[in-house]
Amino acid sequence: MKPRTALPILILLMSATLMQAGEPTSTTYSTEAVQIIGFGDIRDNTKGTLELKDGSLHFTSSKESFTVRANNIQDVVTGNDTQRAIQGPVGTISQFGPYGSGRVLSLFRSNIDTFTIEYRDSDGALHGAIFTMPAGKADPLKEELLSQGAHASIPTSQISTQTSSQRGVQEAQ
Amino acid sequence: MKLRNTYFILLITIAGLLGIAPLHAAPSSAGTPKAKTSIEIDMVGVEDVSVPEEFQVSLYENLLQQMNKRSDFDVVYRDGDRNAQSKDNLLLMHSTITGFRKGSERDRQVTTVKGATKIMVHCQFTDKQGRVLLQRDIEGKVLFFGNNLKATEDFAKKAARAADDALSVYQANPEHRGGA
Repeated sequence: MKPRTALPILILLMSATLMQAGEPTSTTYSTEAVQIIGFGDIRDNTKGTLELKDGSLHFTSSKESFTVRANNIQDVVTGNDTQRAIQGPVGTISQFGPYGSGRVLSLFRSNIDTFTIEYRDSDGALHGAIFTMPAGKADPLKEELLSQGAHASIPTSQISTQTSSQRGVQEAQ
Repeated sequence: MKLRNTYFILLITIAGLLGIAPLHAAPSSAGTPKAKTSIEIDMVGVEDVSVPEEFQVSLYENLLQQMNKRSDFDVVYRDGDRNAQSKDNLLLMHSTITGFRKGSERDRQVTTVKGATKIMVHCQFTDKQGRVLLQRDIEGKVLFFGNNLKATEDFAKKAARAADDALSVYQANPEHRGGA
């Protein structure tokens, strides 16, 4: 009786292991991002998750998603910027605060990275897309994307030196 | 009584014919229907100025959005789209950034008078044979509200109007439409 019950359990375990091995879910990088413009048909300024998995760049929001193969990306450029700490409708309303309080709130800003790509679709048409993400996330994503077949006009090493010098200039200003 | 009714019906019929006739006549007086014209937008180039990549991409993408939204073109093609090559009535738009001043959103919000972002783009519209239809320098700017990339949206709205002017030039000139 015992070998009879052990055999199905063994088969079940083996098949489960084989199924897990067959799933191509190798997410190499993932970050929260805002799609500013241009990534497929996703609406401008949509918050979501930008991830790199199975050689493709995916953007997923609560309503929409879009994917581009890494080898269709012909340029990747990273940069940095700042944005108002208080965002959204509350941020807009706060700009009209009394006695200049809205202006004071505008001084509180957070650093962000910009991530810009250019890619071609199946018809050869050129698309450009811009994302913003928390500071320090764009360069590792670029490196991963390049390792999976994307192209870039400026190598990552140059970007990192440029970025640091730009930050230096920004801080000086 | 019968005669009155007949007159009344006759009067209504005449009035109706007079009122409706001009409505029917209007389309025929508009002339021949316009041939459907498409446009291909080239990627925005840069000339002797340092411009961040995101501004170039934002200009290009906003141009496409505004052209689709506002202009009278049949189809708006992206740079390099193979489907555009088979079109006979096709205009091409080449844009080059000639001036750029990156302002500061913080300065705009704090002072309201400082920190404007301005971008100057030279736009050229040609037909498929390369004959220039219209050239215009268009400025995009953000003076008060919004981030720096808002200047590219301002430019794109103005460029869509310029594209309609180029389309008028193209359609007014049979030499261009003939494609010879």
